[in-house]
Amino acid sequence: MYRIFILILTLTTVLTADEARLIIQKVDNNIRGKNIYMKISMKIVSLRHTRSMQMENWSQGSKKSFVKIVYPPKDRGITFLSLDNQMWQYVPKIERTIKIPPSMMLQNWMGSNITNDDMVKQSSIVEDYTPRIVKREGKLVTMELIPKEEAAVVWAKVVSLIDISTYTSQKDIFYDEEGEAVRVFLYDKVKKFGEYYLPTYWRVEPMDKDNSFTEIILEDVKYDISISDQYFRKSALKRFSR
Amino acid sequence: MFRFALKNILFYRGRSITTFALTFISTILFIVYVSMMDGSHKSMLENALKVYTGAIEIYHKDYRDIGGNEYLIEDVKAITNKLSTIKGIQAYTTRYETYGLLSSKEHSAASMLAGIEPEKEKDLSSIARALREGEFLDEDSGNCLYMGKGLVEKLKLKLGAEVSFIGSASDDSFAAEIFKLCGVFKTGSSEFDSSVSFVNRTYFDKVMYTDNKASYINIKLDDLDNVDQVNEKIINILNDESLESLTWKTLMKTMVEAMEVDSIFGYISLALFLVVIFFVIMIYGFINVSSRIKEFGVLRCIGLCRADVFSLLFYEIVILSSLAVALATPIAAYICYYYSINPIVIEGMSEMYKDYGIVSDEIPFDFNLLTISWNLGVIYLLNILSVIYPYFYINSFRPIEATRHV
Repeated sequence: MYRIFILILTLTTVLTADEARLIIQKVDNNIRGKNIYMKISMKIVSLRHTRSMQMENWSQGSKKSFVKIVYPPKDRGITFLSLDNQMWQYVPKIERTIKIPPSMMLQNWMGSNITNDDMVKQSSIVEDYTPRIVKREGKLVTMELIPKEEAAVVWAKVVSLIDISTYTSQKDIFYDEEGEAVRVFLYDKVKKFGEYYLPTYWRVEPMDKDNSFTEIILEDVKYDISISDQYFRKSALKRFSR
Repeated sequence: MFRFALKNILFYRGRSITTFALTFISTILFIVYVSMMDGSHKSMLENALKVYTGAIEIYHKDYRDIGGNEYLIEDVKAITNKLSTIKGIQAYTTRYETYGLLSSKEHSAASMLAGIEPEKEKDLSSIARALREGEFLDEDSGNCLYMGKGLVEKLKLKLGAEVSFIGSASDDSFAAEIFKLCGVFKTGSSEFDSSVSFVNRTYFDKVMYTDNKASYINIKLDDLDNVDQVNEKIINILNDESLESLTWKTLMKTMVEAMEVDSIFGYISLALFLVVIFFVIMIYGFINVSSRIKEFGVLRCIGLCRADVFSLLFYEIVILSSLAVALATPIAAYICYYYSINPIVIEGMSEMYKDYGIVSDEIPFDFNLLTISWNLGVIYLLNILSVIYPYFYINSFRPIEATRHV
């Protein structure tokens, strides 16, 4: 009887872990596809300023990403390239390509509440975190993601509220090593793009700053299209800047 | 009883000379040691304040805790105009500090870049004197960068090299600029030298849109001892709840705590020394009293009460202490005064600090009459306490019993 109980408990634990991993893989697959093109609008609101930006993003898996700022005119042509955990930036005003050191991957990107790392999606929720189901409530599953020991991520924990009818996140809360919630990502307006579901409205709120948030609207999304490899070369930074 | 005490002092010369000598030495050592300790702490503080931190700094509330462009001081000119009316302020300057990425052709490093007013900064901090290569900034230095030696080495730069900067401007928009390395400094603080660069504010304001804005205002005082009074005046005159005016005691909390710990250890070692002196004086007093038991017995028999015995011992110690203190105090005060004007120079340290070009190698004494006064009070108190046990000992004998004591 005792052995059967242990066997059932072990099987339940393994199956639950497998299910958690499967859910996270599906969420990650919805965000990335095989490759993805996005036209993004961003509104950055802080205590004293409000700014709007527009950019285009081409990504292939989790290792290759290219971003180009198209608005405002002052910043037009600034490009970012992420290749195999390295990131470069080209600034037309000074005509320089600059390598962003890993220590700056968590710095705010262009004055927004998202980081350089978020922008190039360098850390992967599938590869870098161990997921665990914490709570189920109908189609909503609360998952806790704990970083793997070898993963180069700073968050001590991410708690994600996932809608398993679309495999999209509704809310991600990021915690630091003291267990304090640092920021919240809220997602809304899920749309279907071919076989993929993706929230087209994102809102990022830092927990330590009142009246400060960043809104991201995905204006155009194209999955699994043919993206030229030329976007993912260092030469692309200057070439596609124009 | 006073004359009787005088006679006793002259009669028991050995005991009197020992008590006098011990009081004399301990008074000089106590005053000089406290003066040196206070002086070195003051000097440490002044040196630290010379490098970059001000005696008083004015911030927008939450700038120090949260930071960022939301908490910059706006309309700085209006504030500095008010500061010019406050007595006790010797000089002030505004600084704009931001963090970004500095890159050479091959290397990048996250760094603090500060826009400063070069001429005012010469008066307020030692960064200009910390120059090692090239030149310090001036009003016409344009895109010249004055960079810490550690950072120069990290980016593998040479004088005249171009350095690109990317970061966020004060309106949170993207900022990028090419600077030219014109000067290299070394303050001796490796953390500071490997993470900070300076640029002329006039130029930087155009890049960062920070005209009439500042991260904070740095203030130097005529007299550091008046920091709390001047700070009070600043708070009253500014009368703005969104601003906070902080003294070095808050700005350099870690250093203040370190100095307090150092003082505590200093006073503990000094207390041990004084305790030894106290017991030696008390033992000599006790031996003296022990040899005079018969004499005290006779005095009690002819009509002296216990209070008279105490008065006798009290007058003896007060006369001896007063003589020793009267002689020791001018000597100790002169030593303190002399070394407050001509500080002790430690040669070994001198070479090292001269290399850094910032920190003074001198250890000045602190000449403060109030400190000397409480030092004297402590010496007097200890000497008076030293007669209490002998007094109780002598009174433990009944008068008749004492007269028969051998």
